[in-house]
Amino acid sequence: MRAAAEPQADDLILSIREVKKHYPIREGALQRVVGHVRAVDGVSFDIRRGQTVGLVGESGCGKTTLGRVIAALADPTDGGVHYSMDGAMCRIDRLEGKAARTFRRNCQMVFQDSYASLNPRHLVIDLVGRPLKVYNEAASSDLVERVVELLDQVGLGRQHLYRYPHQFSGGQRQRISIARALALNPEVIVLDEPTSALDVSVQAQILNLLNDLQKERNLAYLFVTHDLSVVRHMADRLVVMYLGKVAEAGETQAIFDSPHHPYTRELMAAKPDMEAEANVEIRGLEGTVPDPARPPQGCRFHTRCELATSACGWEVDDVVRWLEDAPGMFEHLVGVERTTEFAAELAFDTEEAAGLLSMAVRSEQVPEAMRAAMRRLNLDGTKVEIEFEDVGEVELTARDDGRMAACVLAPQEVASWKSP
Amino acid sequence: MTDVQQTRIAAGAMTADTAFRVRMRRLFGVLQGMASNPATVIGLVVIALMLVMAIFAPWILEPNSPDPYQMPRDWGAVRKPPGTPGHPLGTTNEGGDVLYGVIWGSRTSLQLSLMVVGSTMIVGTIVGSIAGLVGGWVDEVLMRLVDVFLSIPELIFALAIAAVLGPSFGNIILALAVVLWVKYARIMRAQVLQIKQHDFVDAARVIGDTKLNIYLRDILPNAVTPVTVQATLDMGNVVLIGATLSFIGLSEAGIAEWGVLVSEGQAGIASGRWWASTFPGLMIFLWALAFNLVGDGLRDALDPRTEGR
Ligand SMILES: Nc1ncnc2c1ncn2[C@@H]1O[C@H](COP(=O)(O)OP(=O)(O)OP(=O)(O)O)[C@@H](O)[C@H]1O
Ligand code: SF4
Ligand SMILES: [Mg+2]
Repeated sequence: MRAAAEPQADDLILSIREVKKHYPIREGALQRVVGHVRAVDGVSFDIRRGQTVGLVGESGCGKTTLGRVIAALADPTDGGVHYSMDGAMCRIDRLEGKAARTFRRNCQMVFQDSYASLNPRHLVIDLVGRPLKVYNEAASSDLVERVVELLDQVGLGRQHLYRYPHQFSGGQRQRISIARALALNPEVIVLDEPTSALDVSVQAQILNLLNDLQKERNLAYLFVTHDLSVVRHMADRLVVMYLGKVAEAGETQAIFDSPHHPYTRELMAAKPDMEAEANVEIRGLEGTVPDPARPPQGCRFHTRCELATSACGWEVDDVVRWLEDAPGMFEHLVGVERTTEFAAELAFDTEEAAGLLSMAVRSEQVPEAMRAAMRRLNLDGTKVEIEFEDVGEVELTARDDGRMAACVLAPQEVASWKSP
Repeated sequence: MTDVQQTRIAAGAMTADTAFRVRMRRLFGVLQGMASNPATVIGLVVIALMLVMAIFAPWILEPNSPDPYQMPRDWGAVRKPPGTPGHPLGTTNEGGDVLYGVIWGSRTSLQLSLMVVGSTMIVGTIVGSIAGLVGGWVDEVLMRLVDVFLSIPELIFALAIAAVLGPSFGNIILALAVVLWVKYARIMRAQVLQIKQHDFVDAARVIGDTKLNIYLRDILPNAVTPVTVQATLDMGNVVLIGATLSFIGLSEAGIAEWGVLVSEGQAGIASGRWWASTFPGLMIFLWALAFNLVGDGLRDALDPRTEGR
């Protein structure tokens, strides 16, 4: 089936449109669905011929999940990945027969764990020759020659044909994976942290190999990583993800020059002297990542953002989170009766605890922006009524020079902010 | 034919041969691993001797006619002790030659083991694979069924079935097969569930290989190790359970089968005629022990933590 044709540039290969992937959380003997992990929650971007798109973000933000949806290993819960074929954009999960095979051939994937992604019982000739066999492209002696050619391109040779994966080093195994991905001469390869399991020197070799192959074959890459220094040298464009959503997207150089989203800024700042220490991983930002099954309102980053304003989505959950962290407070909370995500009545077992909370949320103990967002605070015995400004989601919006960011602040406000 | 074509064909022949050699070397590695364990070697030797005995039975002792699997009857020499001329291991109450029972009984046991283990392994592997691959309610239904089977003790279950079907050697095979397939189904399902999570399965999907090919090339070969080990152990265990069923009279009387011989000979033990049940009993013991030794050795040699690394 073919979706309605959209206007497109010639070099567009994949168009990811509002892709969501939610995993059901089941509980109890009946395995009832009690919620959803919103691993990917509405992501859009394009991948063009010869281009590398870097997909970055902290662990658990949904990079692998999105990569798997794009490689058609998982179906999206909502939205879709569109593939450019014969001048039209077709949703990959609706392709059938020949069209499905065409997509399959043209979108390959390289996995993070080179050992796990190669069948331990297959010889290199079986592994690299398999795609050729599946599409009846080569057989017997011809197959051997084709495999040798592919091995040659990734820096291996004929002498490696009849060895098992375990007889190679990690870097060599990743070369085998790359050779396999190249066998069908694809248009795009999803690379899910292809070098993060490798030593620094080997990492550089593989990155160089990928760069060379890209130039030779005009390949497009979706480069998934949490290593900003890697992506800086590899990617033309960046998509920065946070909790299943895009925080910022645009040209790599422009983003490194001036991040428009505080999260990107923090990610870059978390890497001490990136140029000198080329391979230190993201050190991890302050604070914990919220549960993707219950993402924060407004801007998902507001629970950790040092620049957060009163318009960033402060909500009842922020109060609950504060109670969880405050020593000796959470056990006094006996009930939360919400009217909305932004308004609720909190019941405590003692008047003292209720009083402490209403004092705390008026004090320096909570961020100033949170206090500013508070519309109502009512202490009534053991109950505290609380209400915040009701704000919508902070959408990803276009900025100047084709950049996108999901933040209420203007770029110069983000740029001029200095850490206290 | 051009030179290029010729060299290509030569290269193809050479390389196919290389692949074969490499695979054989791997298999050889497993065998070597087993050979380094003396207990396994003893087990293998005993099994080999038993197989030789079963295969060459008609040349060792002339088959009884018309049915070679029935004990011959020498009414002129009943209850003779070992060492009697013509009956080196003695005779039974009905003048059956104990040596004949021991030798031809190895054929019966081999038949029992192969049929029961073969059929249960195939059925269990298929059912377990379907449950693991398809999942959902199919898995749910199949596994509930397996749970029901597993909740009844093996021996009692087999006994009940054999009793209902009536006493015959064929029914013992059937009863054992009905009872034992669930073990394989459960092992296989667990394996499939685990292996289908592996990245190499996703890698095969990304290439666009068919589901059947992925099952046959990626999942099954990586799943069979525990099934193979279980099958080897069961080759011995089945003869033990079968003998128990025979012993309580669920097999055919007069058949050249170790369990039946033990059963028929046990009445004479009190009167000092130990030979009629001791020799076949020893065979059952050796058979079960040998396969268990080899099964254990196989488990160690095929250990995924050491194999091929
Ligand atoms: N099959 C699944 N079932 C349920 N939840 C899942 C599943 N796969 C991923 N998740 C959840 O979805 C979220 C995103 O996971 P994902 O693996 O895509 O993150 P990631 O960005 O690739 O992280 P990492 O850098 O650690 O690889 C996580 O919270 C994860 O727990
Ligand atoms: S919208 Fe911008 S300022 Fe507000 S919390 Fe999000 S990132 Fe921070
Ligand atoms: Mg990942």
